[in-house]
Amino acid sequence: MYKTKLNRLPMICLLLFCFITISKMSAQSVRVSGKVLSSDKTSLEGLTVIIEPGNLIAITDKKGDFYFTNIPKQVKILKINHSGYFPYEMKLSLKKSAVLLPDIFLQPEIKELKEVVITDHFGFRRKKEESLTIETVNSSFIQRNLGGSLMQSLQRIPGVKTISIGSGGSKPLIRGLSFNQVIVVENGIKHEGQQWGADHGLEIDQYAVNRVEIIKGPSSFMYGSDAIGGAVNIKPVPLPSKNTLGGSIDFTGKSNNEQFGGSLNLFGRNEKWFFDTRMTIMDYGDYRVPTDTVHVYNFAVPLYKNQLRNTAGREMDVHASTGYVSEKFKTVFYASNVYSKSGFFANAHGLEPRNVDTELHDKSSRDILMPFQEVTHTKISNTTVFQIGNHQLETQLGFQKNFRREWSHYVNHGFMPPIYPDTMSAPKDLERQYDKEVFSVAVKDEFSLHKHQFTVGINAEQQQNDINGWSFLIPAFTQFNAGLFAYDKMQLNELWLLHGAVRFDYGKIEMEQYNDWFASEITENGQTTSQFLKRSDDLTRTFKSFNWSAGVNYTPGKLSLKANLGTSFRMPIAKELASNGVNYHYFRFEKGNANLAAERSYQLDLGMEWQANKWSFQLSPFFNYFPNYIYLNPTSQHDIYYGAGNQVFEYEQSKVMRYGGELQTRYQFLQNLSVEILAEYLYAEQLSGSKKGYTLPFSPPASVLFGINYSPQIKNLKDTYFSLDYRYTAAQNQIVPPEKKTASSNIFNLALGTKLKTGQQDFIISLQVQNLLNTKYLNHTSFYRLIELPEASRNIILSVKVPFLISKSN
Amino acid sequence: MKTMKIVKPALSIFTMALFFTACSGDSPEIDTEYPAIDSTAVNAFPIQCSEIKRGEKITFRTKFTDNAELGSYSLDIHHNFDHHTHSTEVNDCLADPIKKPINPMLYINSVTIPAGQKSYEAVQEISIPQDIDPGDYHFLIRLTDKEGWQTIKGLSIKIL
Repeated sequence: MYKTKLNRLPMICLLLFCFITISKMSAQSVRVSGKVLSSDKTSLEGLTVIIEPGNLIAITDKKGDFYFTNIPKQVKILKINHSGYFPYEMKLSLKKSAVLLPDIFLQPEIKELKEVVITDHFGFRRKKEESLTIETVNSSFIQRNLGGSLMQSLQRIPGVKTISIGSGGSKPLIRGLSFNQVIVVENGIKHEGQQWGADHGLEIDQYAVNRVEIIKGPSSFMYGSDAIGGAVNIKPVPLPSKNTLGGSIDFTGKSNNEQFGGSLNLFGRNEKWFFDTRMTIMDYGDYRVPTDTVHVYNFAVPLYKNQLRNTAGREMDVHASTGYVSEKFKTVFYASNVYSKSGFFANAHGLEPRNVDTELHDKSSRDILMPFQEVTHTKISNTTVFQIGNHQLETQLGFQKNFRREWSHYVNHGFMPPIYPDTMSAPKDLERQYDKEVFSVAVKDEFSLHKHQFTVGINAEQQQNDINGWSFLIPAFTQFNAGLFAYDKMQLNELWLLHGAVRFDYGKIEMEQYNDWFASEITENGQTTSQFLKRSDDLTRTFKSFNWSAGVNYTPGKLSLKANLGTSFRMPIAKELASNGVNYHYFRFEKGNANLAAERSYQLDLGMEWQANKWSFQLSPFFNYFPNYIYLNPTSQHDIYYGAGNQVFEYEQSKVMRYGGELQTRYQFLQNLSVEILAEYLYAEQLSGSKKGYTLPFSPPASVLFGINYSPQIKNLKDTYFSLDYRYTAAQNQIVPPEKKTASSNIFNLALGTKLKTGQQDFIISLQVQNLLNTKYLNHTSFYRLIELPEASRNIILSVKVPFLISKSN
Repeated sequence: MKTMKIVKPALSIFTMALFFTACSGDSPEIDTEYPAIDSTAVNAFPIQCSEIKRGEKITFRTKFTDNAELGSYSLDIHHNFDHHTHSTEVNDCLADPIKKPINPMLYINSVTIPAGQKSYEAVQEISIPQDIDPGDYHFLIRLTDKEGWQTIKGLSIKIL
């Protein structure tokens, strides 16, 4: 009966053929189940188990369990091929209708130990154990999506964007919040740079990052002030395994800005002592955009060979860690130094859009001329963990120094002398200098009591900030912060997990008086006098805050639900309290407000996740309310003294409501073919103040990413993948002065990669083509958006990682 | 099992749809328009490449408009002896050779436009001192509206 139709209608034939196959299978089907564990007996989640012939697949759940129903009796082989583990194969002989396989233990590959320790399954588990919205990625995600800086490499994650400056610097933008509203934690210590500036990148070496956890929501109860918008937690690199000596070399090349660079890692360990070192070098030229003219406000600037004049840069980073590990005691010392030097787009820096010596600038695309920035970030820290009975006690001591200099030709404005005086102590071209030193200490105790898992802790931080240079924006200041917290995670039963946290914080900021180095003419009551104007007062402010958070997780099998409600806070920073100067990037005069209260936020986070054999689906909406958001308000006034007639922007506080969410769904069509959809949406509105009804600056527009991933099994190759991402970004019409509406965009990114084995040597190769079609588009959250600068043109990125093992003994 | 396969994609598409329609809701009426500087009138002064004599009084005259309400404007005259800046205008003026400033003229003033104006004719007298360096100058007009939107116009002028 079917046959006659088959001949006539090939389409129906296909459908019916499938039907027959399915009915045939169910006729003599078997159920197979089992469990996958790593060699240290932890269950492995999110692994693909394959049965052949027929390419049937199942994905392990959080306990490592998997099952197949309705599989034909004639199948012969069960395979597990997971990155970082030796491939596993098992012969099947299915005689009964239900077969329970013995536990499967996967052996990690030693050489890659460092990338492997955490793979996908870890992320799955974290998500289910936390009531906040958490995303975890590892170094292979970074290699696949390698951008110019760490945050650019993480942009594929919905809800995570960046505020980028040039091709090598960016800062995190989590659900529309950035600057001091998002904290970055590296090796357990809060990264303290000059995160208040939109043009300041994050001083982190992305090659040294093994695993990053992103908390998309307020997490002040864990990290204190500043974590009001979210946290980027860069976890310590896992320790090398016993009695090994090895390392890896990374090479990266990029076509757009002719970047080349790499990183060399060397690590070793005997029984209890280990070391781990890394050196990274990068050098890049001016990046290219698909346009030949940029309109800096209303000033047209022609570009030479599509190059963004003077955006070249270089980076040099060194890291070293060493320590002692035993069963009950672990101590690790870290030291790192991250140095970068990069140019600013020369035509858009200064008091007004500038004419530049194009002949000088366009001579080479690799030189870094003025204006440019130079940043050195040094970190030294120790983390020590003691296991005492039921308690795990952790102490952390840290020192950081962030030394930032912005170099630019002296430009007199207001009553500054036309020629820079020789008598000045600051160098002639030093526009600004910020020198921050931070000491931090933290003690934490984790212990369990019945069904409770408690964490209690205390931390404190002392900062000293100095300034220098011929211009003034923020004063020198010292700051002290301390916090005390308790966190309880309670496992009610297999299904329910409760969370509760409280935290008390204290903060004190002391700002120093600053007077102009030049005299200004002030006319009062018809009398003109010459005065050294005071730009900032001696000012001390103290803040106290009590915060709490409560959450719940419910995980009945494939479905998991979570909810979290909590408060968060942020102390106003020196820039918000006391700035009083020209922001040379934006041609505006910024004025602080000494009376600002600490910012407070209330947020509700929800999460729904469904994980089936071939499907996964995740929705994470949130609602957030600030009674007193600190906002830099553009006024209609101009400053005629130091501001040289520039528009005045003043800090104010307003009520703000924000809501939005992210959606992630994935379907495994075939064993080697999967598609995913990642979407995000955010709405923000000011409910009071001078910009009532307006949104907040840098609000990312809604976007959706469609990704298709094909990972074929090819002889002699492992972990091969071809993937194509298409991202549609909606127009952003919700704007606030001085922003401009941004049109929608359609961008394609292509990525492919594999692991090549020649003899005993592995080569992990990945190739990316970003902006495949060389589309000219604007990114609403780019630092250079205001000057209508399109995003980078097509960029081909090749990176090769060569892990090596020098010796290994047992 | 088979129905599940249909339900799940349908569910996700539905949620997505909800997601994206949620954003098209009506938002309150806000002003997103920039104010405008209009120097096309016959008596507008200065205009691109205007020439001014030292020791004289000039009258700045330009028309400002906005869709809602004007804010304030600032005028800034500074030297361009080093050719550091250029104008917003399409045509360029002939510039003198680069030179070092000795006593360049500097004029910065700001005026708050009376409340409630959508259109305003700015008129301001500026004295050009006798003892300043002659040469290329830049005449910068910055106009804001009440909400803080700003428009800049940069003119190249010469002081003789």
